[in-house]
Amino acid sequence: MLVIVLENAPPRLRGRLAVWLLEIRAGVYVGNYSVKVRDHIWSQVETGIGEGNAVMAWRTNNEAGFDFVTLGTNRRIPVEIDGAKLVSFLPESDANSQKA
Amino acid sequence: MADILPPLKPIPIKERLSVLYIEYGHLDVLDGSFVVVDKNGVRTHIPVGGVVCLMLEPGTRVSHAACALAARVGTLLVWIGEAGVRLYSAGQPGGARADRLLYQAKLALDDELRLKVVRKMYALRFGEEPPQRRSVEQLRGIEGARVREMYKRIAGQLGVQWKARNYDVEDWDQGDVANRCLSAATACLYGVTEAAVLAAGYAPAIGFIHTGKPLSFVYDVADVYKFETVVPLAFRIAAKNPVNAEQQVRLACRDSFRETKLLERIIPGIEEMLAAGEIPRPAPFEEQVSPAIPNQESIGDAGHRT
Repeated sequence: MLVIVLENAPPRLRGRLAVWLLEIRAGVYVGNYSVKVRDHIWSQVETGIGEGNAVMAWRTNNEAGFDFVTLGTNRRIPVEIDGAKLVSFLPESDANSQKA
Repeated sequence: MADILPPLKPIPIKERLSVLYIEYGHLDVLDGSFVVVDKNGVRTHIPVGGVVCLMLEPGTRVSHAACALAARVGTLLVWIGEAGVRLYSAGQPGGARADRLLYQAKLALDDELRLKVVRKMYALRFGEEPPQRRSVEQLRGIEGARVREMYKRIAGQLGVQWKARNYDVEDWDQGDVANRCLSAATACLYGVTEAAVLAAGYAPAIGFIHTGKPLSFVYDVADVYKFETVVPLAFRIAAKNPVNAEQQVRLACRDSFRETKLLERIIPGIEEMLAAGEIPRPAPFEEQVSPAIPNQESIGDAGHRT
């Protein structure tokens, strides 16, 4: 299982992802592929994301049962706490200063 | 200005959804993705790169851009008639790899090698070695008898009226329900098999048991899997005699292909059948000129065009 969420992404990247994945809501893509194909799809996001931001999550055999990677700036940032990968949500002012 | 997206490449057949049927609508490309636009302007995205083959039913129109996109991601477009009577197919012309083609042709042209391949197909299909010292002709006879027997047995088990396999492509509705279900189911199987044969780099027309049809090799390969996948489910649905039997059959085919992991097995299966000839793949001659522009690395299957 594979989920990609795009924010503020250019239309050509959104169209490109729809070549392999199903866009179930605006910017939300799901599919089910191997590591190789997943990396292939993610490399397209890396190239095409422009000013936007993206996150990809997939099912895997670790403690949480899934893993994820992010790209671009967002108020939600991945943090490692005690060996577990979690997400911190920045207050609005921090997010703006981070962007600048 | 962001970077240009990397070129599209096919992904392996085994990771894809088996078949999608598309009826009524205009197939086009919008923002780089494959869409079907119906007469009300409703767009439906098709994850074309994640499907083995698209079956286009009457009432579809395809733009040039859509064909180009399907070809780039290695998806076979199959134009079919109503309820899956095959009409025409395109998308990836056969024989994308000369080495595979020569290998296949060598096996098919030599009577002894051909017999070995046919015997392997027989063994894979019935789960036992065929009787010794039989010609291809004799094996075909034995096979025909066994197949008729299997149709009768499976029909009996599932409580279906069964006389014989017969169908008339000119007059589809004349066939009985069991035959119609069987035709719809085999059409699904032929679609994904043809896509697999092409993706593996072989020629659909060079058959071993079948001959003289554009899809002879596809029939050979599909026959190996026919009785474990589509025949029982076609009869199971025929026994219920539902209103939209053909559609039920297709949905059941998709489930069956997933459950039996058909797409993962079909390309290795083709290799296994041909390997029975026990000859090495042809190596390039010393004086041969290699391509000026070498092939790009691809994560698709060996014969996929990129």
